[in-house]
Amino acid sequence: MDTETNNLELAERLKLIETMMIEGRRSTESYGWTFVLWGVAYYVAILWAGLGHAYLAWPVTMTAAGVLTGVIIARKRSKKPATTAGRAVGAIWWAMGISMFILLMSMGLSGRADQHTLIAIVAAMLGMANAASSMILKWKLQFACALVWWSLTIYACFGRGTALTIAFLVALFFCQIVFGVYGMMAEARARRQGAIHA
Amino acid sequence: MPELPELNPVIHGKLRLALLSLLSGVDDAEFTWLREKTGATDGNLGAQLMKLEEAGYVSVEKKFVQRKPQTLYRMTDGGRAALTEYVQALKQLLGSAVLGDR
Repeated sequence: MDTETNNLELAERLKLIETMMIEGRRSTESYGWTFVLWGVAYYVAILWAGLGHAYLAWPVTMTAAGVLTGVIIARKRSKKPATTAGRAVGAIWWAMGISMFILLMSMGLSGRADQHTLIAIVAAMLGMANAASSMILKWKLQFACALVWWSLTIYACFGRGTALTIAFLVALFFCQIVFGVYGMMAEARARRQGAIHA
Repeated sequence: MPELPELNPVIHGKLRLALLSLLSGVDDAEFTWLREKTGATDGNLGAQLMKLEEAGYVSVEKKFVQRKPQTLYRMTDGGRAALTEYVQALKQLLGSAVLGDR
């Protein structure tokens, strides 16, 4: 009986190690809000550009969203520890964000913002960032988002006017806002589960 | 029959084991985050972290962020090696228990 109890206790220790390691690494779901924020920012920029201020709409909206993201992340970071995977994912999104900012700002200011090229490049970049993140995090749902963005890249090269805009808005809705809300819900669920008492 | 390994008593404590496992997955962690994850009381957590620090398994950094004190704990290379050794010993012991049952 003693040996059996001892073995159970050892197995419990092994389980505790696994659980705590997973818990320590679980930091990525807390970025759901960024998807929602950027999804809304894209909608605002598109709407604003549609009203005839495309040269201002994209640079201003993207800068505002970028600053807001930076401020919120800085505030959150002091509470949560950094992980290697978290830093890798963060680096991908920051690099993509800076590339996108430079591109959109330049295209917006130069007035050479052709809708097809713009959507193709934005969708390809979002596809790349989502795919890379999903591979690091082993998150199939995010990879599905990458597939949607890549499909839109192809469609942007062949599709036409209004249909393309609608396709872009639909992709934004599902891959930014719905996906972001799902991420936030997953984070809230994990918080509700509370501490794993050691 | 090969000799069975002994489990490191410093790591074997449940809370200390949980703390090392948590720290193994992050760069560094705040005292409050460790408390939240383990559900331990301040006193117990502080005491167990001190034991890990004395054993050289974690290092401590105290600083001020926005005028608030912050205590950060980081796993040392020694701590990582000790945890790896502990897990191997644990698996070996469990493996021998399974073989012993046959």
